[in-house]
Amino acid sequence: MTEDKIKNLLQEADRMAGLPGAVSANLSAIVRRRAHRRHLRISLTAPLAAAAVILIAAGIWNLAIRTTEKTKDQEKIVLLEKQFEQLQAKTDAAINLIQEVLVAEQKKDSLDELEAQLASIPDPLEEIQIQVDKTAFILVYQADRLYRELNRTDSAVETYNRVIELFPKNRWAQVARERLSEIDSRKFNKIDSKGELKWKPEIVSLSC
Amino acid sequence: MMVMAETIDDERLVEQFNRGDESAFDRIVEQYSSDVASLASRLLGWSGEVEDVTQDIFLAAFLGLKKFRCDCSLRTWLFTITVNKCRSYRYKRMLRKRRISQVADKAIDESAGSADKKSMDNETFDRIRRAIQALPAKYREAVVLRYLQELPAEQISLILGISKNALQVRLNRARARLRDDLGELTKEKL
Repeated sequence: MTEDKIKNLLQEADRMAGLPGAVSANLSAIVRRRAHRRHLRISLTAPLAAAAVILIAAGIWNLAIRTTEKTKDQEKIVLLEKQFEQLQAKTDAAINLIQEVLVAEQKKDSLDELEAQLASIPDPLEEIQIQVDKTAFILVYQADRLYRELNRTDSAVETYNRVIELFPKNRWAQVARERLSEIDSRKFNKIDSKGELKWKPEIVSLSC
Repeated sequence: MMVMAETIDDERLVEQFNRGDESAFDRIVEQYSSDVASLASRLLGWSGEVEDVTQDIFLAAFLGLKKFRCDCSLRTWLFTITVNKCRSYRYKRMLRKRRISQVADKAIDESAGSADKKSMDNETFDRIRRAIQALPAKYREAVVLRYLQELPAEQISLILGISKNALQVRLNRARARLRDDLGELTKEKL
């Protein structure tokens, strides 16, 4: 098919389709009206868009400020919480210290009380020593009476010997030794000077 | 000579318009509206959307006329706007009515074979028009401007923004496609 044939065919088909409907008589008026509306819309759109942008920016700014304030409040709260925790820790430490001091004082009081009680208990060794002393004294006293008042020298010597045997380191053992020595020396004197008794043992005082 | 006079007249109209005389635009519309509407109708497949498209074309012209530098004729400039607006319209329509169009085309294809001669001619020409519309946009625009608007190659090159050689290539390829699509019809016709 040649170009002209195609052209003829296309033009025939175009012709058969008919011309487009008549363009509106007031097309230019319509176009001008639309153009003015568009111009008005554009002229209004810019300020409106600017206002919208400003509003949005203000909203964002306000939100940002609120968020920042909130953050500051939160920071303050966190700081206060930390301070509170520190104070709590200090208080706990002070309470623990006070409790420790109180416990120590209680222990000290108990110890003092125990020491006082212990101090009030007499020393058993001293008691024994006193009893030993007393026993030795009584024995020496009985021996002196046997010898001086009853003239029972043998019994007295035996008792002195018992004191020396039982309480060798006691002072009354020393007294008993002195008595025995005197008895021996008196026996010796009695034998030498006609058998008279010159020395008499003194009664031992009961004061200890 | 005629082109020269037209160009001088265009410059005068544009100058009047730029001075604020909107009646110049009335004359432009009066002078070119039918050509613009015809081209829009052909580019849009002889559909009924021509009036809306024509309004949009002249609205674009009204808004852009102050920037028009008279590098080409006002007709060429308006045809360029027309081609671009029709591309946009076709694209939007394609997105909107793709399925509906397919169903309609299929129905039309199936209705072929009427015994009536006049009816047969109508169907034939419908088929030719559909073949034109089925061409890719760059071929369809070249065919419409060259064979239906019968514009010179130089003007078409300006409108489409391509070289003459490129236009010739497009026209050759468009004819080849039409031959493929309308082969039997051409035998009958010829």
